[in-house]
Amino acid sequence: MDLTPTPEQVTFREEVREWLEANVPTDLPPLESKEELPLYQAWERKLYEAGYAAISWPKEFGGRDADLMTQAIFAEEYARAGAPTRINVLGLGLAGPTLMARGTQEQQAQWLPGILSCDDIWCQGFSEPDAGSDLAAIRTTAVLEDDTYIINGQKIWTSQGRYADWMFALVRTNPDVPKHKGITFIMIDMASPGIEVRNIVQINNDAGFAEVFFDDVRVPAANVVGGVDDGWSVAMTTLSFERGTGLGSHVRFQRNLDDLATLVKARGVADDPRVRDKVAELHIRNQVFRHNGARTLTSLTNGNELGPEASLNKLFWSTMERDIFETGMDVLGPYAELEDPGLDGVDAKAWHKTYWYSRAACIYAGTSQIQKNIISERVLGLPKEPKMAAK
Amino acid sequence: MYFDFTDDAKDLAAGAREFLTGEYSPSYVRSVWDSDEPRDPAKWQQLAETGFVGVAIAEEHGGLGMGDVEMALLLEEAGRANLTEPLLETAAVAAPTLADYAPEAMQKEWLPLVAAGEAIIAVKLGDAPAVADADVAAALLVETDGALHLVPADGVSAKPTGSIDLSRRMFTVEVTTGPDTLVTDDADAIARTFDRGAVATAAWLNGIGQQVLEMSVAYVKEREQFGRPVGSFQAVKHLLAETVLDVETSRAATWYAAYAVQHDLEDRVEAASVAKAFASDAERLANTNSLQAHGGIGFTWEHDLHLWLKRGKALEGAFGTASFHRERVAQIILD
Repeated sequence: MDLTPTPEQVTFREEVREWLEANVPTDLPPLESKEELPLYQAWERKLYEAGYAAISWPKEFGGRDADLMTQAIFAEEYARAGAPTRINVLGLGLAGPTLMARGTQEQQAQWLPGILSCDDIWCQGFSEPDAGSDLAAIRTTAVLEDDTYIINGQKIWTSQGRYADWMFALVRTNPDVPKHKGITFIMIDMASPGIEVRNIVQINNDAGFAEVFFDDVRVPAANVVGGVDDGWSVAMTTLSFERGTGLGSHVRFQRNLDDLATLVKARGVADDPRVRDKVAELHIRNQVFRHNGARTLTSLTNGNELGPEASLNKLFWSTMERDIFETGMDVLGPYAELEDPGLDGVDAKAWHKTYWYSRAACIYAGTSQIQKNIISERVLGLPKEPKMAAK
Repeated sequence: MYFDFTDDAKDLAAGAREFLTGEYSPSYVRSVWDSDEPRDPAKWQQLAETGFVGVAIAEEHGGLGMGDVEMALLLEEAGRANLTEPLLETAAVAAPTLADYAPEAMQKEWLPLVAAGEAIIAVKLGDAPAVADADVAAALLVETDGALHLVPADGVSAKPTGSIDLSRRMFTVEVTTGPDTLVTDDADAIARTFDRGAVATAAWLNGIGQQVLEMSVAYVKEREQFGRPVGSFQAVKHLLAETVLDVETSRAATWYAAYAVQHDLEDRVEAASVAKAFASDAERLANTNSLQAHGGIGFTWEHDLHLWLKRGKALEGAFGTASFHRERVAQIILD
């Protein structure tokens, strides 16, 4: 075990920290509607010009070929600086890498530059009303007419759906084969006629995702990535890229915990033994999360695959995130329901918003119950629950 | 950054698993429970011959020249096997403490004896009310009046006192200290020794948690109710998923803390408290959920489960309870 960073890692961290200190905008309004979007795009443009848009991408596509440790350092510094939410994570983290792995040269040339510069924002069209955890149950159809697919159907829970310029989607191209086999992965221009986007207002009053309706939407057949009817394997490639998304997130939680400590002091309860015990417990959990992340990072660097253990990670942080904000509301006590409790250094409105958002952590990307099923069956090897008898 | 063990350390742990599970079967542990005789010195001698006792002792004194990090991996195996010998106190706490802080003459006298298996050292730090294995110890490492002393057995009077874990024999002690027994009176050195004990205990607890988890997994795969293995019921599966989550993540925190103690990092105190608080709670969850998964059979004296449950319960409170360590963390972040 050697936890000392290499000189290159130290240099990179300093370089990133200095650049962020000099460049992170401090006056960005929350991203609540399309009006604020250009401000966030301007920030993305700055990152792009400094070569920080996608450091994990290969050099030939405009990245830095950064290894996992370097990516983690960047993610930590980004979170530490309190830099703006990245608005094109689905493009940079999923669509781009999928195109590099499975797209043709023409497709890479067509879409990668726009993703990198953030001129094109992407969304993911996987979920449907009746296909959430059971992804292969999608029903949105694509029928070939000459060299154009005609798409009909509906997607839901589409993050960035209200801003996106492009969607990478799964569509059913063959209803007559087993459900995993008739699916195609296709790129859809969100400006196409026949697309209707309806915002879904969330519990925290944000419209973070949308429903997307397709009514005879025409998409060139050249937009298919991978083979026709081979979309399932392309989708699995895409999902495998989601594993990197936890890098450095302990720093973001540390910021939440610092806010919690501020709140505890502002409420004058820093001497309450119950509060001390609870706040320390959360701090301890985040440290455990950090150390476990370092262990995983080393394992991946050593060439190991991230298997079902990813579910342990998801279950751990999602529960912790929810508990951090729940504790904050508890500490606020009778002030919790007030928009302005008049406490020094406490932005109750922001706390409320993130509190409600944190309630989603145990639902998205696989509920806690799904994660526990995966852990018990695939990590511990316990028997599956018997299938319901066929009707 | 490399957050993993060397191949040497992994080999050591693999060897330890094989040796310890062979030598310390549940029936052996029960024989220790039932016996009024002191420990079998041959057992300790054998443990020393494997090199485990001298893992953290320098090669010049007859040890393997490794450190707290490798020791942590070994202690997990000791926990899994329910080792009845005082490896934690002697090898993981006393030996490295003497190596770091004792006068040279004291080191030269004691460390080769420890490495050779000729001296067990018991440990009493902070306000611990009793000491494990004082009857077989050649010396006691004891914190008293703001100083750390190594008191040879003839300066220790030990009186047995009952314990919930019959394999960990507990004694109340009185000691006679003098200038020649002084190890150190440096407050941070004493604190680091306590941290060392907390981290070693955390590692042991992780091993216990892992063991009772595996026993439970094996049991619920086999035990049938309503015509199905009970391990296929979601309620049971989720119990064990929660257990593995905490036990598995706890290991990383303990390893980091062992590294922090070994290299005396700036965040050593925090890291040690994080490790012990989390490991105690993780083991408590494993303890609770494994008994639940076993149902009535786990509550019987005949079943082996309680051998681990009792050691786990004893160690949850050793070197600071979870709430004690949470308060230490609270002092860092709130005061």
